[in-house]
Amino acid sequence: MKSEQAKRKILVCCGPGCLAVGGREILEGLRSRIAAAGLDATVEPVIKGTGCHGLCEQGPMVRFLPEDISYCRVSLPDLDEIVEQTVRQQKVVERLLLVDALTGRRVKSQGENSFYKKQLKIALRNTGEINPLNIDDYLERDGYRALAKVLFEMDPETVIAEVEKSGLRGRGGAGFPTGLKWRQCARVDNSPKYVICNADEGDPGAFMDRGIIEGDPHSVIEGMVIGAYAIKAHRGFVYIRDEYALAVKTMLEAIRQAEARSYLGRNILGSGFDFSLEVVRGGGAFVCGESTALMASIEGRVGEPRAKYIRSVERGLWDQPTVLNNVETWANIPPIILRGGEWFSSIGTAKSKGTKVFSLVGKVKNTGLVEVPMGITLRELIFDIGGGILNDRKFKAVQTGGPSGGCIPAEMLDLEVDFDSLTAADSMMGSGGMIVMDERTCMVDTARYYIDFLTEESCGKCSPCREGLKRMREILNDICSGAGLPGDIELLEEIGGMVRECSLCGLGKTAPNPVLSTIKHFREEYDEHVHRKRCPAGICRPLTTFVIDGEACTGCGLCRKNCPAEAISGEPKEPHVIDQSRCTKCGNCIELCRFNAITVK
Amino acid sequence: MKIRINGIDCEAQPGEFILDVARRNNIYIPTLCHHDAFAGEARCRLCIVEVVERGRSRVVTSCVYPVAGEIEVATDTEKIRSLRKTLLMLLLARTPQNETIKKLAREYGVTEVARFESDPQEECILCNLCVRACEQLGAGAIYAVNRGVTKKVATLFEEPAEECIGCAACAAICPTGAIKVLEKEGKRIIWNREFEMVPCSNCGRPFATAEQLAFYRARLKVAPDRYGGDRLCENCRQKRAAELASLMSPARLR
Repeated sequence: MKSEQAKRKILVCCGPGCLAVGGREILEGLRSRIAAAGLDATVEPVIKGTGCHGLCEQGPMVRFLPEDISYCRVSLPDLDEIVEQTVRQQKVVERLLLVDALTGRRVKSQGENSFYKKQLKIALRNTGEINPLNIDDYLERDGYRALAKVLFEMDPETVIAEVEKSGLRGRGGAGFPTGLKWRQCARVDNSPKYVICNADEGDPGAFMDRGIIEGDPHSVIEGMVIGAYAIKAHRGFVYIRDEYALAVKTMLEAIRQAEARSYLGRNILGSGFDFSLEVVRGGGAFVCGESTALMASIEGRVGEPRAKYIRSVERGLWDQPTVLNNVETWANIPPIILRGGEWFSSIGTAKSKGTKVFSLVGKVKNTGLVEVPMGITLRELIFDIGGGILNDRKFKAVQTGGPSGGCIPAEMLDLEVDFDSLTAADSMMGSGGMIVMDERTCMVDTARYYIDFLTEESCGKCSPCREGLKRMREILNDICSGAGLPGDIELLEEIGGMVRECSLCGLGKTAPNPVLSTIKHFREEYDEHVHRKRCPAGICRPLTTFVIDGEACTGCGLCRKNCPAEAISGEPKEPHVIDQSRCTKCGNCIELCRFNAITVK
Repeated sequence: MKIRINGIDCEAQPGEFILDVARRNNIYIPTLCHHDAFAGEARCRLCIVEVVERGRSRVVTSCVYPVAGEIEVATDTEKIRSLRKTLLMLLLARTPQNETIKKLAREYGVTEVARFESDPQEECILCNLCVRACEQLGAGAIYAVNRGVTKKVATLFEEPAEECIGCAACAAICPTGAIKVLEKEGKRIIWNREFEMVPCSNCGRPFATAEQLAFYRARLKVAPDRYGGDRLCENCRQKRAAELASLMSPARLR
């Protein structure tokens, strides 16, 4: 064990974010240089959760163990210096260290970075630490030990009892107690039964599920075999959207390796229990993330949901009892079995136990995958972990729960995040998307964006969702283009309320959230648009007039030089003016001005 | 078991849907996408009702909600009427000229929708009954194509469909009369395809398409020369059946 720990490793992130900026070339460059120098270190590719650390903007990331040095934005010309300084002499190359967004200082290791300090990794315990394409890496970190424990020391009833004790609730969004779902399915006297992993992640700005599958596929597989044992299922499916090419590839390879080692297939580990797992690739319909539509899609039918008065645990896939859980839920199962339900339930709030993975994106300094204990406040998430708002602008709202979540305003920043508090705030947990918005965000335009997305993605089966979203989109388009009519806000509330109450599936029932929550918290912004034909954030172009405040303008000329329409004129060191007839309201000037001299009239 | 609908005690079987129980007891619940020949799909959502179960009230769709316990159902509360009104306003905005929708909307106080632009030609509310009827009969010539707001019922690529037998079952089952069938001079035009019609061997009235009769015979495994090769329209068939019945009547046979 000692020699194993002392072994030096260089972990090069090969998640999509880092691959896009040359992660693969860095990996190969390091490998060839180290081989040529005859140094004692293995270079292993490690897939980090996409965007963790804000890798999308800071990648490619390279981490050195056991020294625990992390470098960001590594490029090919840096490699010789890295090999000479860090690999050979174990010295730190200062300029490659990550800058802590909170303190402004360069930090050597991940642990010193504020981004990590408040995080607690259970579902993401291996992501970024292991090579997902090598099952031995997973085994080294207690992989499949929970499965062995289940197969040889526990009966299905004790497994279910342990999961119930943990208080784990479904991470896909609705937060249904996982143990209860398993128990209900186990009780149904009908076979065959199935288990399904929902990896049809479709929310804009969300990458929790792909992060886990691409970084640690075996934790999902192990969770699923345990679930299958508990409900006596022998066949399972992982439904991954086909656009996630790396996730599909990684999962297929992980299944192959697990089969070769007898963690999947016939007579698993000699226990007599059989379980096979297949990958089904989703065709890209957002609605197929809805459990009954997903099952229809696996069956080869059109991906449309059905009413869930008869639940999937009784009649699911091919009308047989089925347990469907989300990627993150499955990944939480092995640690719960190994460390006990009590340990898991000691984390989190009264009714939401454990941790939650969020993809923190938008106008924050650190964007990425974060895993935090339930009950953390929005303020801690956005300002401590996220490092605050980009360019130190003012926070305006955070959109949680994916496209059909709600927008939570600044007054509610101290909200402790869990399933129930977010629902009470007219939003929802969803699968964990978290999009931060600053003062340069128009809330009506934001609502319009989400309703547009949902209108495109509605399956069209039931009339409230199909007709309601279509008309809400029309009204919002009108409002944003200056054609809003008196009564429109009330009409949005009327239609939204009906769609929420009458739609068939979860997509429709939650679809009005972006509109209803922004009307509730930002009604004055709607009023400005409808009644005074003005967009206070300066986003809706027909309703925007930018003006330069002559008092504040220093005549620096930055806006003039960057105006694509050449609408700004003025002598150096004299106040500038905008020619309204030429202005295209692109907003470049207001984004660039360092003296807050440009305002929205 | 017993459930209460609008204060009336109704006998129900476990697993039976609320709508079926209500209809059996002559309690009116509006529907568009429901047909007794098919299981409910809960598309139109007009059949929403309020259910009180264990002290909790919620809105459910009665065509697919199975009775499991002793529940209290209210089909016409203020809340339900208001939801149906908004829904019908949207359906009327979709099909502004359709008489069925206009009449239903009027019942809920909606006479016109000025706020939205509408297609005056549109009469389909996407209940899917036509697609299911066509599929069930075995032809399978029409489908719900596209998704969401662009969804519509059409033949493959909107070309005249080879599979179509011109039986017009789709038009017969359509709750809003949205599917147009044109019959004249011994021809029937439906879904952009023209069919020759076969005259009744008895009265001479063209009554079905040749494709339709061939399809039925094949499906029922009836040889073409059976019944002396007669092809009778519905009217004449009933008449002949009555004649046969009287020939075979016990009084006459005695």
